[in-house]
Amino acid sequence: MALLQLSAFPSTIESIFRNAPLAIQIAMVFIVVAITGTALAYYSILRSRYRGYRRDKKLSVLLPEIDNLIIDEVLTNPDMQQDIPADQVPLNLEPFQRLPLDRPWARQALTDRIIHFRRNVRGNMGNLLRNLYIQLELDKDTMKKMKSRRWEKKVQALVELTSLNMSIADVTILPLTNSRNRELRAAARHAYIKLSKNEPFKFFDVVTDPLLMWDQVELFRIITTTEGIAIPNFARWITYSGNKSVVSFCLKLVVHYNQLAAVPAIIKLLDTRDHYLRADAINCLGKLKVAEAEDQLVRIYTSQPLHCQIEILKAIGRISSGRNIDFLKTEFLHSTDFDLRKSAAKSLVKNEWFAKQVIDELLATSSPENLRILKHCMNPLIKY
Amino acid sequence: MTGIAETLARIYEGAIFVYGLVLLLTYAMLAILSIIAVRQYVKRSSYHQLNLLAGSPLAPGITVLAPAFNEGLTIISNVRSLLTLNYPRYEIIIINDGSTDNTMEQLVDEFKLVEVDFAFTVKIRSQPIRRVFKSTDPAYSSLLVIDKVNGKSKADAVNAGINIATFDYFLCTDVDCILHKDTLLELIKPVMQEPKKRVIAIGATLRIANSCEFDEGVMTRMRPPRQLLPRFQEVEYIRAFVLGKMGWSYLNCVPNVSGGLGLFDKEIAIRCGGYDHSSFGEDMELMTRMCRYAYDNRIDYAIRYIPKTLCWTEAPTSLKIFRRQRTRWARGLAQLTFAHFGMFFNPRYGKMGLVIFPYNFFFELLAPIIEFTGIIVYIVLSIMGYINWPYALLLLLFVYTYSVMITTIAILWDQITFRYYKSWREVLYLCMTPFMEFLLYHPLIVFFSLQGYYYFLTGKKSTWGNMQRQGFGKKKS
Amino acid sequence: MSKILLIEDDEIMPKIVARILPATEYQLDHVSNGKEALLKLEATNFDYDLIITDIMMPYANGFEILSKVKNQSRPIPVIIVSNAGNEDMIMEGFKLGADDFLKKPILPAELLIRVKRLLMKNT
Repeated sequence: MALLQLSAFPSTIESIFRNAPLAIQIAMVFIVVAITGTALAYYSILRSRYRGYRRDKKLSVLLPEIDNLIIDEVLTNPDMQQDIPADQVPLNLEPFQRLPLDRPWARQALTDRIIHFRRNVRGNMGNLLRNLYIQLELDKDTMKKMKSRRWEKKVQALVELTSLNMSIADVTILPLTNSRNRELRAAARHAYIKLSKNEPFKFFDVVTDPLLMWDQVELFRIITTTEGIAIPNFARWITYSGNKSVVSFCLKLVVHYNQLAAVPAIIKLLDTRDHYLRADAINCLGKLKVAEAEDQLVRIYTSQPLHCQIEILKAIGRISSGRNIDFLKTEFLHSTDFDLRKSAAKSLVKNEWFAKQVIDELLATSSPENLRILKHCMNPLIKY
Repeated sequence: MTGIAETLARIYEGAIFVYGLVLLLTYAMLAILSIIAVRQYVKRSSYHQLNLLAGSPLAPGITVLAPAFNEGLTIISNVRSLLTLNYPRYEIIIINDGSTDNTMEQLVDEFKLVEVDFAFTVKIRSQPIRRVFKSTDPAYSSLLVIDKVNGKSKADAVNAGINIATFDYFLCTDVDCILHKDTLLELIKPVMQEPKKRVIAIGATLRIANSCEFDEGVMTRMRPPRQLLPRFQEVEYIRAFVLGKMGWSYLNCVPNVSGGLGLFDKEIAIRCGGYDHSSFGEDMELMTRMCRYAYDNRIDYAIRYIPKTLCWTEAPTSLKIFRRQRTRWARGLAQLTFAHFGMFFNPRYGKMGLVIFPYNFFFELLAPIIEFTGIIVYIVLSIMGYINWPYALLLLLFVYTYSVMITTIAILWDQITFRYYKSWREVLYLCMTPFMEFLLYHPLIVFFSLQGYYYFLTGKKSTWGNMQRQGFGKKKS
Repeated sequence: MSKILLIEDDEIMPKIVARILPATEYQLDHVSNGKEALLKLEATNFDYDLIITDIMMPYANGFEILSKVKNQSRPIPVIIVSNAGNEDMIMEGFKLGADDFLKKPILPAELLIRVKRLLMKNT
């Protein structure tokens, strides 16, 4: 009886489906789709969790082994203590054969771990870690990724090569710096700066699309941490580059390297029509403490938009030559904009060495609001 | 006579059919778009290392704004956890919104605060700030506490904080929310990686904190809520954030950045007047005005979402408080739709006017009403004996299985970004929830929404219940 | 034998530091966050000759630890080892009384020399 019903079941459904209006037919199809979909989702969740669990478990065994090997063979290598250059230190690779290095995931884990070590330590020890990477032929894996058709693999490879300071032929990397994929392009440029033996800064000349803030963070890190990179005079791009983001980035580098040779170019940049760039230039002059530019800044002050004016006031505070106390005082007392008054007050306080009298006088005579601003700026507990 | 009734019934039937179909297709579309967006995020975060930004002098400054009203139970550990966020350049502003408990005293004692003369201009109106405090201990130099007159709303408190904020971006959160330590790094990343548009707001997934374990404001163990009501909410949040917001983010059509966690462009937030303290959904209201401002001023803007969970918040466990929360949300939605109706299908407002607003109108605002009338029609018809029961049940089954599938997919996408929870058992436990959601949780939402609309229409004075907290102290672990 | 406390949430750094500072001369204790550090310091009654700490850590950041340590009657010398490149942050550390700052990645020899120098100065 039950069997009969069971075998009749599909045919009943079929007949319902045939005779149903369209909406019901669609609904019936979708019920099947939804149930299958849900089942598939369950399966995928379980599978991905299981895989993740397996990976974690394998890594939890492998990573301590890798760490111990690296510590024994690289960090406590007896030659390391005697400051023998890394290139002349023979590495004992035999113990590494214990690792399952025939497996790609294990090789990847080892590469990542070497990079992780190198993020914490540099110098001779860092170089020896790099030698380990090369001698275990992990670089071949990376190069294979470079040839992959998937762009994210290429990016990953470029990141690995840059982190390990591996040189790559210009022919491999230059085409990628013009890739249509933005991320790949950026990664290739970063790698080029870090690894190219010829002019690393060449791409500043040719880049036309804006450097994103994130790119600047990466570039800044690469440029300031690469050993043996020849730092050019950034005035070259500040003067000639048509790419505003390159100019603004170069200004930051000029500040970092305290590159006073670039000052004339920066002063010339004050004439630019782009007021954001002008503000950056003023900021840079302040941070470099270029006292010669002070008078010009004061001269152009009245014709500037608000944010440039604020930058000028800040710059005078940073330069703190004491030559423009009266200007700051006037701005503090008579400006109608609150932010200008506050910036003027801050700069006065920074010029305290010369402005002590003026500040005392202002403290005694200011309106309650101005007094509050002054006290705010003089309070060492308040940072901004 | 019967002819007209029949035609009307046909039209009604057809309209409901189209409505349902569009809704289902939208969900299918969101499911596809969100997985593309989620995978993109996962790919990118594999090589964009956060510690690079954490160590960079070029990181843009961020102000963290956290309003507190009678949070004496948790205030200290939560401020401590804010102080340990991974970010090189940020300040924390705690806004004590006229607490009547010892919140302020605790802060003063713990962080050695003293009152300072703080000069600022009022760019957005708020209740007056009484005092500003800084710590005498340089270890807490990034902390600033303001004591203001209670403005009876979070909006007012945050506005006061925006006036004091130094940096160009501000993170808006609640003192009782627990943040992931990389929150600031993660949220600023989309701003720094956007090639053309101006990113005016960024949000991330929120989750329910109820059954998680915390130790001095740091989450130590993540767990799906044990109680049913919070668990429903966890599932709902996953669906709304990972599937919904991520899908919309792909189209640059994010309707709202949640009030629990969001990073905003300060300049635009100030220009459009900050939060509206009279709104019941102040986060969505601000977002709408920011978009509107951007369109009016031809700013090519973007709002982004991140699938990673960065914030844990305590969910209501009692029906009473849950009802208060949801009627408030519904009321806020009604208010917002009414106030900005000029954007409805207005091509001047681009995607906002043609996609986001109509979607919100039809599928968020009207949905409870349509569902409710649908049920009434069904009851009437069944009394009159017009119902073809097998068909009706089939349709119901269809909606049920489909909703379970969408929610399960959302949980799957969520698991792809990160292997949340400790074991697969906990995930399965969570996966069981959608089966009950349709019958138990969903009717509640519909009902509370309708109640919210009713309050909106009648203008009922709302009582300002602050949610009762249990506190994430050690005692829970 | 000098007692050194290393506060660092990276898992590899302690292993490296342990190799740089020979165990025959230095007794190195390692904790991985601010809370453990404070507990350890209190449990040992601040009995350390030197502290090496990171800045960004869970529970309590490096600044808080610095401030606690430097407010003791016998201030312990502190070296900050961090990847922070933000000048303000480094200045903040020095303002709080940090004795030295090393940026990651570190040079092993440099760390060793600075540790020695600070220990010499304080004996």
